[in-house]
Amino acid sequence: MKVKKLLSTVLTAAMVATMLVGCGNSDGGSAPAGDAPAAESSGSGDAAAAPAGGADLSGESITCIVPYDAGGGTDTVMRALADAAKGSFKNVTVENRSGAGGATGMLAGATAKADGTTVTMITVELTTLEAMGTNAGLTYSMFKPIMMVNSACSAITVKSDDDRFSTLEDLIEYSKSNELQMGNSGNGAIWHLAAAGLAKTAGTEFKHVAYDGAAGAITDLLGGHIDAVAVSYAEVASYVESGDLKVLAVMSDNRLESIPDVPTCKESGYDAVLGTWRGLGVPADTPDEVVDALYAAFSSAAESDAFKEFMDNSNNVIEILDGATFEERIKKDLEVYTGLVNDLGLKVQ
Amino acid sequence: MLMEVLQSAFNPIILLYMVVGVAAGICIGALPGLTATMGVALLLPLTFGMDATSGILMLLGIYVGAIYGGSISAVLLHTPGTPASAATAIDGYEFSKRGEAGRALGIATLGSYVGGIVSCICLWLISPQLAKLALKFSSAEFFLLALFGLCIISNISGKDMAKGLICGFLGILTATIGIDSVTSYVRFSDNVNLLSGVQYIAVMIGLFAMSQAFESIEDIFSKDEVNTKVTRLLPTKEDFKMILRTSSVTGLIGTFIGIVPGAGADIGSFVGYNAARGFSKNPEMFGKGAPDAIAASEGGNNGVTGGALIPMLTLGVPGDAVAAIMIGALTIQGLTPGPMLFQSNKVLVYTIFLGMFVANTIMVLLGFSCIRLFTKVLSVPKTILTPIIFALCVIGSYAMRNNLFDVGVMLFAGVVGYFLGKVKIPTSPAILGLILGPMAEKNFRTALLKSGGSPTVFFNTVICWFFILLIVVSLFGGRIKALVKKTAKKS
Repeated sequence: MKVKKLLSTVLTAAMVATMLVGCGNSDGGSAPAGDAPAAESSGSGDAAAAPAGGADLSGESITCIVPYDAGGGTDTVMRALADAAKGSFKNVTVENRSGAGGATGMLAGATAKADGTTVTMITVELTTLEAMGTNAGLTYSMFKPIMMVNSACSAITVKSDDDRFSTLEDLIEYSKSNELQMGNSGNGAIWHLAAAGLAKTAGTEFKHVAYDGAAGAITDLLGGHIDAVAVSYAEVASYVESGDLKVLAVMSDNRLESIPDVPTCKESGYDAVLGTWRGLGVPADTPDEVVDALYAAFSSAAESDAFKEFMDNSNNVIEILDGATFEERIKKDLEVYTGLVNDLGLKVQ
Repeated sequence: MLMEVLQSAFNPIILLYMVVGVAAGICIGALPGLTATMGVALLLPLTFGMDATSGILMLLGIYVGAIYGGSISAVLLHTPGTPASAATAIDGYEFSKRGEAGRALGIATLGSYVGGIVSCICLWLISPQLAKLALKFSSAEFFLLALFGLCIISNISGKDMAKGLICGFLGILTATIGIDSVTSYVRFSDNVNLLSGVQYIAVMIGLFAMSQAFESIEDIFSKDEVNTKVTRLLPTKEDFKMILRTSSVTGLIGTFIGIVPGAGADIGSFVGYNAARGFSKNPEMFGKGAPDAIAASEGGNNGVTGGALIPMLTLGVPGDAVAAIMIGALTIQGLTPGPMLFQSNKVLVYTIFLGMFVANTIMVLLGFSCIRLFTKVLSVPKTILTPIIFALCVIGSYAMRNNLFDVGVMLFAGVVGYFLGKVKIPTSPAILGLILGPMAEKNFRTALLKSGGSPTVFFNTVICWFFILLIVVSLFGGRIKALVKKTAKKS
């Protein structure tokens, strides 16, 4: 008797584990506690359909692959977007497939069934990994881009009590005669390439110091162990507000709304526009009408108030591009980054 | 303000969320492969619909519960549920073999509580002062911390130092697989799944759990006489005193490890274990089932929980991987952790402080009321338990990245672990090597990169010298002691 009782306890534990794991794949059926985010949306299937272009996906379960860990920046944006889009489909689940700097998840998404039920969050690493040669066969043409969702430019940031630098020109001039240590989020990562791109345009050199993620670089800057970082504004925003750090320039076409006093690199005479982006893609063989239906559903989700509010709160900038324009952007970025990687000698053989 | 804080922390709904969180955390922690980090990440979406206070307090409950929960499977099955309990498994399982599983779990539960409370007190009273410490750490300090951690191999190797070193270096070598983070050079990996390195949790599950399961197949039909009767739940008076002494010290150590960004509960428990061995009256018992070993390891890892929140709340810098996800959770709630949070959301910050006390208390209550239930696992016949462990190992290693490749890694490590066990090579040094190897390598190279190749960077600050001293003491402490005794005798 006792053994039976115990066995059932153990089995229940095992089942809970399976459910936690299988969270991404289950649809409807049993709806236990661990499965709530997926189950929640399953009832509202017929609420709002997006039959644009002929394809009707309102009865489908969509899986969104995030090529990075749960809780990170890419993951939270995808989850917020999926939440805003859940009315357009039977349900939307988010699955994290991290590894190899994003290549694992993006490869999984690119080789999924081309029927529109697997959508992948593609990021700028789609181009930088290929430029670096660590793409493991992943290339942008494996995807048909649906839309770009958000973008973030590099913000050249220093300590606010660092009186060597009050403008970007100071920093560039200083780097010409001294060693300037510039922190980034990883070797060959987007912020490394962005800083290198600025140095190239300005005709100078930085000493690039790589960390595992932007947080490490920012912490080292706060502690005064390095001179500057070139990460996104969202990542340094709270320290700028508290007065610990200051942004010298942003590498975008226009000034950022949240820091209107900070000039762009272009204004300072260095034509460098570099940064990261995130968007959605499906396998290249997906029929166009399915892609159109997905675009209709996700672009209206991206324009919803809930998503906008989330993006505002997390200092993310929404930038929606349609599939064709997005593809052009991807192609252009690949060219730029391949050039930078070759200049830096980062290409992996 | 006090009233508001009390109201929000003791709100019945929030208390319920916390109980659910702690219980879920204990289950997640006890299951091999599901770590505290994953538990918090997996249940994070549930908090999106809650208000900030309930959401964060539930996540804290999961965190505290999971770090404790890992000790249950470590003691009962020689399978650390999370890397944080790898040190607990060494001594904890010896208790189970002796038929004292209940005692070991009691020590682990109370030890976790004491460690957690010590870190709460630090968090509550001196977090702004301690937070500055996190900024003092740069690459050189991280390297020396990792090096100090690696010295622990010498203390967990048991009698045969050479075997421990072999295994430790095996771990460090395995950790070099993947893209090197300083020059992007691809090392030992022509498989895409290896590019980001070997998943050390898969290796840990293989080395501890899978190899154990293989071994139990050998005599699966024999009925072994394990004494599963739990005579008493609460620790004896002597145990109680010992726990209070040991766990409060290692809890303090854990808090400091937690503050240091990038060092988490796994390192906290090993450093705590090592320190306790240093001041133990019978260090030769460590590794053979010493009660203070369990108290030290569990005090150390739960000490990290409060410590990791210190830089997160005061600076916005995550103290460990779980704190990094919590920053994500706070961001989704529209709050930015960092220097401004104390000013703009004072009530929330103090509610979090109080919530940590409450979460720890829920943990100790749930723990003690369930020990009897936990130990029942030992009375399950091997013919049933072993297949369940097999299944859990596969699920756990798959769950990390939803990647079948990691299951292969786990199985391989299981076979290696089985044969290592046959030749009596301890496997825990390999885990230390895997966790600390990359940290040591990367920071060593980054420090030299920043200093332009000058090794003086490792001797520049007080913190550097502090770690150098610790390394010397931990390697040569025994020798020095013996030498001093000898000379004292002579004269």
